[in-house]
Amino acid sequence: MTVFAPLDWIWMGALLLLMVGCGVLFYRLGKRSEADFFLAGRGLPWWLPAASVYATHTATDTPMWVTGVIYRYGFSGIWYTFFSAWCAISAFVSTRIFRRSLAYTQAEWQSLRFSGLGSELLRGWMSGWQVFMNMFIMGWVGMAMGKLCNYAFGWPLWIGLILFSSVCAIYVLAAGYWGVVMADFQQGIIAFAAIIVVSVWGVAAAGGPGAIVDKLSAMGESWRLNPFHFTGWFTGDFPVVWFLTMMFIALLGGFGMGTSIDWYSEAQRIQSARTVRDASYSIWWGTAIVIVRNSIWAVAVLGFFVLFPNITEAAEYELGWFRLGFETLPAGLLGFFFAAILAIHLSTISTHLNLGAVYATRDLYHHYINPDASQKKLIWVGRISTLILLIGSFIFGLMMKEITKWLIFALWIMAAGVWLPNILQVIWWRFNAWGYLSAWIANLGLSWVVVWILPAFGVIPELPDYLQFWALMLLTSLIYFPVTFLTRPERMDRLVKYYAMCRPIGFWGPVRKEARRLNLL
Amino acid sequence: MRWIRRKWKAADAREWTREDAMAIVLSPLAYIGLAVGVALSMLLIPSGYWILGITILVILLMHWIIDPKLKAVSEDFEKKQKQFLENLEKIERWEESE
Repeated sequence: MTVFAPLDWIWMGALLLLMVGCGVLFYRLGKRSEADFFLAGRGLPWWLPAASVYATHTATDTPMWVTGVIYRYGFSGIWYTFFSAWCAISAFVSTRIFRRSLAYTQAEWQSLRFSGLGSELLRGWMSGWQVFMNMFIMGWVGMAMGKLCNYAFGWPLWIGLILFSSVCAIYVLAAGYWGVVMADFQQGIIAFAAIIVVSVWGVAAAGGPGAIVDKLSAMGESWRLNPFHFTGWFTGDFPVVWFLTMMFIALLGGFGMGTSIDWYSEAQRIQSARTVRDASYSIWWGTAIVIVRNSIWAVAVLGFFVLFPNITEAAEYELGWFRLGFETLPAGLLGFFFAAILAIHLSTISTHLNLGAVYATRDLYHHYINPDASQKKLIWVGRISTLILLIGSFIFGLMMKEITKWLIFALWIMAAGVWLPNILQVIWWRFNAWGYLSAWIANLGLSWVVVWILPAFGVIPELPDYLQFWALMLLTSLIYFPVTFLTRPERMDRLVKYYAMCRPIGFWGPVRKEARRLNLL
Repeated sequence: MRWIRRKWKAADAREWTREDAMAIVLSPLAYIGLAVGVALSMLLIPSGYWILGITILVILLMHWIIDPKLKAVSEDFEKKQKQFLENLEKIERWEESE
């Protein structure tokens, strides 16, 4: 158990006050309008949403995840953390297209891109799913905080889960996205500083960079220094074909919208940037910092491996980076370290509180229930939604042990079978709402069949992750392509309007021709 | 490099061009270089410095190529944004009542 010195408590209290205070300060800006409460008035310079992209994607469970894959696979484990690289292409393709649409959310974008009943069904489904997903993510991240507080201070799990998320809700309720993004900026700085301090401290504890290389070599483990060390083309824990599949998913996913679960929070940051250029740079640089952070962590984890090379339990070695902090930092710095963990936690929770609330407010309440709602009312609905999301996240968090396996499965199915449709909706004019909806429904059914049912009955062996991805992608396409061609294209007037506004990339020939004919280009 | 355009008119900047394709290729390379270069450099492995150095050049080149176009795209869009926003609110059927 960790014991704080008075200086540690001062550090922690001061930084927590700074984080919450910084968010609450923007109360007046947040309450001006719906666009302010959810998009900071679409007026942010690129570095603010970039800091938010970075801060949001540094969650309490991220160091555990990164530590786990690096401890197990050495530097090549870094490719497991490379999924955020969808932003490499997205920054210059889908980010530009989405920013031009001016849609608050992905669900709203789909109602601009598609039309008619299919579009409405899609918007309802997407917004409901996102409200659920944001609650679930907060429950997951909150429980990681509960476990960490249990490890560090011996607190029962529920205290860590509820206490800090509730503190975070203060500034999200008060200032909405203004509070989120402004707090994210300083939380990002605090977290990055702590990551560097703890990692350097950990590397020093292992004897320094040179000693880590020498010790790995003496242990016969120098393969861990090779970022391209794989277990074979098709065999072992980490074959080349899995690496190539991850690269394929991550990089080409940037042509689409929704190919990564992170897209939905990035979409809000894209829309809050003041220009198309600011949106592109915010996504590119925010992710670049995420990638640099992962590499800094990877080095510290190698140091941890040199210090503790024989841990076999994943649950134990996943705490490696936290152990470096709690066990090697001197009194005083320990409080700073814990405050940085709080910064990491608050930035993630605040984002998902506000993001879930924008789907509940803009897409469900404003669009379906009360289209004539005043700005004041919309902000209050945003606040009430925030509170409901917070309470829902506690319930999910407390159930997490029982449902984690099922919900990881839910996350996976969201990625595999709809990966290609998420790209097609951006790059191909003929892809319609019915094709997209059928892909979702087919994916829900087929993923059960491929991942659980057929292996359980011994019809097929349990497939490795990369084969599951390709199988689901292929099988769902056998459904949504026929559905697309058997149903009508979207209304041409809607497509033309969308094309003139967003200028999408890809196969838009007939729409472009019509837009030219109407003199809209 | 005459084949890389650095002065844009709004109408041309709206189209997808060679400069976009270059950014799309250079950007993932920059991320891969950052991931590998930072990790190896922190362990004082010489190949890490080379990779990081080349990556920084790739990032600068990417910005040099795409930035003028992004500026032109942004300026052009800014002029139309107000009208587009009005359209969006019509679709949302929102009317200010207070």
